Amino acid sequence: MEGLKNISLKNKVFFSTLVVISVMSTGIAVATRWIFVSNLASEHVNHLTGKLWIPFLSIICASILIAFFISYWLSKYITRPISELTKMTDEISQGNVDIKLGFGDKIRCWEIENCKEVLCPSYQNTDLPCWYLDNTLGRGGSPGSLPEKFKACRGCAVYKKRARDEVLQLADSFNNMANSIRVYRSQLKQSKEQYQSLFNSGPKPLFVLDSETLQILDANASAEEVYGYSRKELLGKPFTDLGPFEYKEAGLSDFGQGDRHNSYGVYPRVQHYKKGNKPFYVNIHASRARFGKRDAIIVATTDITEMIEKDSQLIQASKMKTLGELSAGIAHELNQPLNAIKMGNEFVKMMIQKGRKVSEEHLRQVVNEVSGQVDRAAEIIKLLRTFGRKSGFDREKVDVNSHLKAVVAIIGLQLNLENIEAKLDMDEALPPVLAHSNRLEQVIVNLLTNARDAINQKKEAGDAAGSHVIHIRSFREDDHVAIAVSDTGVGLPRAAKDKIFEPFFTTKEAGQGMGLGLSIVYGIVKDYGGDIDVDSEEGAGATFKLTFPCAP
Amino acid sequence: MEKILVIDDEKPTLNMFRLFLGAYGYTALVAENAAAGLEVFRKEKPSIVFTDIKMPGMDGFEVLKQIKEIDPMTEVIVITGHGDNDLAIQALRLNATDFINKPIDGQTLEAALKRAKKRSQVTKSKEQEVSLRTADDVAIIDIRGNVSSLSEPFLLNAYEKICEKGSAKILLHFDYSSSINGAGIAVLIRVLSESKKRNQAVAIAGLSENFRKIFHIVGIAKLARIFDSEQDAVSSL
Repeated sequence: MEGLKNISLKNKVFFSTLVVISVMSTGIAVATRWIFVSNLASEHVNHLTGKLWIPFLSIICASILIAFFISYWLSKYITRPISELTKMTDEISQGNVDIKLGFGDKIRCWEIENCKEVLCPSYQNTDLPCWYLDNTLGRGGSPGSLPEKFKACRGCAVYKKRARDEVLQLADSFNNMANSIRVYRSQLKQSKEQYQSLFNSGPKPLFVLDSETLQILDANASAEEVYGYSRKELLGKPFTDLGPFEYKEAGLSDFGQGDRHNSYGVYPRVQHYKKGNKPFYVNIHASRARFGKRDAIIVATTDITEMIEKDSQLIQASKMKTLGELSAGIAHELNQPLNAIKMGNEFVKMMIQKGRKVSEEHLRQVVNEVSGQVDRAAEIIKLLRTFGRKSGFDREKVDVNSHLKAVVAIIGLQLNLENIEAKLDMDEALPPVLAHSNRLEQVIVNLLTNARDAINQKKEAGDAAGSHVIHIRSFREDDHVAIAVSDTGVGLPRAAKDKIFEPFFTTKEAGQGMGLGLSIVYGIVKDYGGDIDVDSEEGAGATFKLTFPCAP
Repeated sequence: MEKILVIDDEKPTLNMFRLFLGAYGYTALVAENAAAGLEVFRKEKPSIVFTDIKMPGMDGFEVLKQIKEIDPMTEVIVITGHGDNDLAIQALRLNATDFINKPIDGQTLEAALKRAKKRSQVTKSKEQEVSLRTADDVAIIDIRGNVSSLSEPFLLNAYEKICEKGSAKILLHFDYSSSINGAGIAVLIRVLSESKKRNQAVAIAGLSENFRKIFHIVGIAKLARIFDSEQDAVSSL
């Protein structure tokens, strides 16, 4: 019996047909003999048997022939298609979907239906029968795709022609399946290529990192170009070799509701290093993703070195502009010690010229005054130099109070001249904040000049008398350092409150302000993770409160 | 001893003023702010007052106004920052009689004091501030003391006389101590514009350095040439 299992279907059919026919003819023979034996004498039977020997042999031969033809027919219509289907399935499972079954008649629907729809996808198409094709135009245009269009196709002569042959239907179905796989595969390939090319030719450096080790799993061409490493050098390198990085979720993107793979992080102004340890500045955007079976982080960096340089130049320029605006105050302030020095000296000169004796007491008074006033002038110059200096690109721990003092000292010169009092109240035990000295000073300068302008506006409106005060305070608020600047100026109309931090918004007269001061303040404060708040009543002054997180 | 009041918010400056004024033989009264200064002024009635303009609280202009209200004859010399001519002109409009720039030069201070003293003598002696004389074909108007709105009729009168005589050459001769306030400047400009219309040649001489500067700023120098001495001016006409 074991041997039987290895026999092909065709041979099984052949042998079984043969066996059935043999058994049938033997049966007929035995039955005939039995009938004859019961009715006839044995001699007669023997004689008859001898005569029937030839017809029997012919019947057996005919049976073999019939069995052969049956098996041939079976093989042609059943076993060959099945083995071709088997071959096709094997090919598909090996990944080759570019094969077609080539047996059975091709369906030529346009000939059957005498159809002239040249634009129909089925027209002169013998690859697939029309009912497998979407949006065919024949028979009043059977729309849609399977299974909806089947309703229309069931009654069609084209379909009926094929419906009689289940094996061909199976083959058609297989062809359609292979075709669908082929289509999906090419779509998949195309989409993969699309994403690959998006990744590769993205204008920003992109990295795929292992979420555990932060090793670089993949990097694009821009990453090679910007960082100066080849892709080979980058792969396997820890991303932290390029600059500090620690994935912290800033939030969840709206894409996947609550899916942790859609969280992202943003890290502004990070110092990174190109090959050869050349530093530059980047903004980093990172988000979680899957890379194959691994949890990965996708990181995009943007080179902002130029922007930072420009920003720093802008801050410097704007400080210099502030100094320019303060020049009257500074000149006045420097003129005071100079005047005392000059007068002291002129007094002694005059006495000498007139041949009069200067009393020791007067002389002492003059020299002491001169010395003291020189120190005072030097102090002002020191202030100017401190205020005018540049600061580095990196955030450092900064003492808010010392900068408040410096700025108030400088701007105070001008404020004095304009009859505005600057009152400074500081919490001396303030922790430092992470910031740039220059930018922080710019923030304070902008707030103070704004307060001054608000007061001057009020003065111009006719309220010249009364006390004009800018009150500057520093204090701690939970884990934040706060700076508050209050003025007694015109205040803000309610409608302006929401807009004052927008660039180019100004309540000052045309030509008086660009409307950039507060928007610069806003940008800087937000950059440091801080916040800004304004409290004001029209006509009754305003208070701006800034908060900065304490340095860790 | 004559009393002089100095108002300035700068203590070192006040100290030095005290030394200087003492050396010149004056009694220096000092005040560190406007309110204190006005109080001293009311009490001591000094004939000469120096006041700084930029001061916290009440400023020098307010001091000037109030002093002129109390005693219009007071010589008020304002102290301005170096090159701050706008403030000087503003002060002259408010009837300041002179101004002095910080840092203050010894000689400048001495000259300012001398001029102030002379002016107050002119005022006190009721001497004629405007007088007319002729030298050859030049009509000369001598001007002393404070040229203000009070001088207007005298100046216009003198000019009318010149026109009646038909002089084509006019010299405005200022005494070195003379001071011209805002109203005085306006009258001068009126006279000079009129003379230009009448094709009269006008020259100015004898001004102190301070007012020469002011005449340039307010445009008087465009209407009449300014000379140091009377001779130079006459020979130019």
